[in-house]
Amino acid sequence: MNELSNRSRDIGEFIPQPDDDMIVCRCEEVTKGEIRKAVHEGLWTIAEIRRYLRCGMGLCQGQTCAKLVKGIVARELKVSPALLEPATSRSPMRPVEMHVFAKETEDTDL
Amino acid sequence: MAGRIAQHPILGCQNENKKIVTFHYDGKEMKGFEGEPIAAALKANGVMVHRYTLKQHKPRGIFCAIGRCTDCVMVVDGEPNVRTCMTPLAEGMDVRTQYGVSDKPFDQQ
Amino acid sequence: MKIERFDLIVVGAGPSGLSAAIEAAKHGMKVVVFDENARPGGQLFKQIHKFFGSKEHKAKIRGFHIGEQLLKEADDAGVKVELNATVAGLYQDREVVVRMGDEVHHFKGDAIIIATGAAENMVLFDGWTLPGVMGAGAAQTLMNLYGVKPGERILMLGSGNVGLVVSYQLLQAGCQVVALVDAAPKIGGYGVHAAKVARTGVPFYLSHTIKKAEGTDHVTGVTIAEVDNHFQFIPGTDKHFDVDTICVAVGLSPMSQLLKMAGCKMEDNPKRGGQVPIIGEYGETSVPGIFSAGDVSGIEEASSAMIEGRMSGAVAAEYLGYITKEEKEEILAKLKASLGSLREGMFAPKNRGKDIKETEEGIPISTNLLHKGYVLDSEIERFPGVTHKKGVHPVIECTQNIPCNPCQDACTRHCIKIGSHITALPAVDETADCINCGMCVASCPGQAIFLVNEDAGDRKAEITLPYEFLPLPETGMKGTALGRDGQPLCDAEVTRVRSSKAFDGTNLLTISVPAEFAMKARFFKAAAQA
Repeated sequence: MNELSNRSRDIGEFIPQPDDDMIVCRCEEVTKGEIRKAVHEGLWTIAEIRRYLRCGMGLCQGQTCAKLVKGIVARELKVSPALLEPATSRSPMRPVEMHVFAKETEDTDL
Repeated sequence: MAGRIAQHPILGCQNENKKIVTFHYDGKEMKGFEGEPIAAALKANGVMVHRYTLKQHKPRGIFCAIGRCTDCVMVVDGEPNVRTCMTPLAEGMDVRTQYGVSDKPFDQQ
Repeated sequence: MKIERFDLIVVGAGPSGLSAAIEAAKHGMKVVVFDENARPGGQLFKQIHKFFGSKEHKAKIRGFHIGEQLLKEADDAGVKVELNATVAGLYQDREVVVRMGDEVHHFKGDAIIIATGAAENMVLFDGWTLPGVMGAGAAQTLMNLYGVKPGERILMLGSGNVGLVVSYQLLQAGCQVVALVDAAPKIGGYGVHAAKVARTGVPFYLSHTIKKAEGTDHVTGVTIAEVDNHFQFIPGTDKHFDVDTICVAVGLSPMSQLLKMAGCKMEDNPKRGGQVPIIGEYGETSVPGIFSAGDVSGIEEASSAMIEGRMSGAVAAEYLGYITKEEKEEILAKLKASLGSLREGMFAPKNRGKDIKETEEGIPISTNLLHKGYVLDSEIERFPGVTHKKGVHPVIECTQNIPCNPCQDACTRHCIKIGSHITALPAVDETADCINCGMCVASCPGQAIFLVNEDAGDRKAEITLPYEFLPLPETGMKGTALGRDGQPLCDAEVTRVRSSKAFDGTNLLTISVPAEFAMKARFFKAAAQA
């Protein structure tokens, strides 16, 4: 069992910090405080935090904030960032309008 | 045009022989080079703010300039969320500041 | 719906992707390269500096010229490059979904090479979302691709090679760089890149970082402060600068999501820059038929990315039976040697994070160079490129072991010796006679070579220095000579200006200064600018 799966581990109380208002996920405007708080509410994986707060689910798909979120969560959990599994990679890798995503081409020949 | 590098020590005159086009930024007439990213033309015209965010109404501008961060999106020809750093400028384009996902300021939405 | 098949699908038309495609196509494979951008070449066309390495690595050629060569080579090899083609997904059995225009296209590759490169890292500080705060790459894109100044007064955060190179390019574009800041206690990039920025007068603030970007609608100023060993701000160390732009160059992260999506085994490897596929020596991932090349599997330079691309292209060719195992081994052996020489020296991937105090030759590294960006007058004499003799002679201020040797090839009189080990510090052979041709000055990618005549008569010395700015000073022009630290030293007069096609954009400025400044004056500012 690694430090992450040991859920009986006490990570302490959520203590507000002066920079909690700082935006971390630029697209969905998720703050550092929201992410830190979520960890103390029991969300210990990037996937959970992402689903709950939407950080990394905006237009850029976490391109800018993924590493930052990981760092914040790891610090809160007092573990190495390398222990945290990154979010699942899904298609589409870039924002695609639904009408385009649904439109299969008939003639592909390049 | 202000903001342009007239002559570069290594690259020379970078925009030589490019066609000048007219476009509109929030109703104001501006000039830029055909085919350059909208964001480059706006920067050369001194525009810093591309949009105001949905939740906190905070200003955003060019951040990555290569289509990854999506911070520079604006309403272009009526379509919101257009990445201005990736979209080539064309004659007569209508480029507007994006408020949330609209081109109307928040108090008019 | 329709699926089109290729022998090889390459994702990313940057240096590694194009190189992979060229190698594969040369062996008769049907290859297509998809790239989401409107132009091919990845970041190569923004690199306007001369590359390091040796001849086989295209050293002393500017990045964008290497890009042009690569495109021509790809064209000649019959590689099809599809632009504005965004790969949206990579699925089982190597099925690739690509957005092109307003439609989604399906392809299948018998082999796939992922060469998607990297994205810029960011750091959090108060005001980091304000317009005017941008990645260093964004600044490079605006000025070097589109001829637009990213700002007028700029602060650079990050002293790795990207931060240093982009700072220099900002100066070339006519912007003012007010400070170069890094939270680390030492400069991360090549000393020569730092030195060419420092000598123009840009101050370096190591162990400092940004506290706050100021402004309501866009950046109008910035406050930095010193940090302690734990990266906490030290009270009372605030420094304020009026700026309109803040550039952030704090490293790159591999864009490896497609590989993860395809089911390749991944790892978090800080030495490679983050989430990377677990790969074999030549880019083989855990999924048969899927390979990776370039920054996506570990952050390095474009020069090594091009070799990695060739390697994965050759491996893919053998995988599909286009070449024999023996042919592959022969190709790989050559490439391996070439890559190996690039991965030597102080900045080699294997030395990342190590505190190196001496050169390979046993000479103590200049600590001032690591902290302030320039070698002190009292330190410079201990390096083998710095010698004294009568008449004009090269002074090579190359003080770290980096893989680079164009100066040795440039000197037809054999004044400059590096040897076959290309990370060795260049040494001056005092017995050989310098003919003042200037080729070494122009060929040095680090702009670290000067031609000095310590006694040019009339108690004057003459210094020839590389100059890549506009306006280009003219003969007879008076101004001020600056030291390595960028501070005014003495009056100087331009006695000769040389520009030549062979110098490839680097002008050679010869200035006359009082003789006592021969080993000190390293930059020139015209009177009006001083």
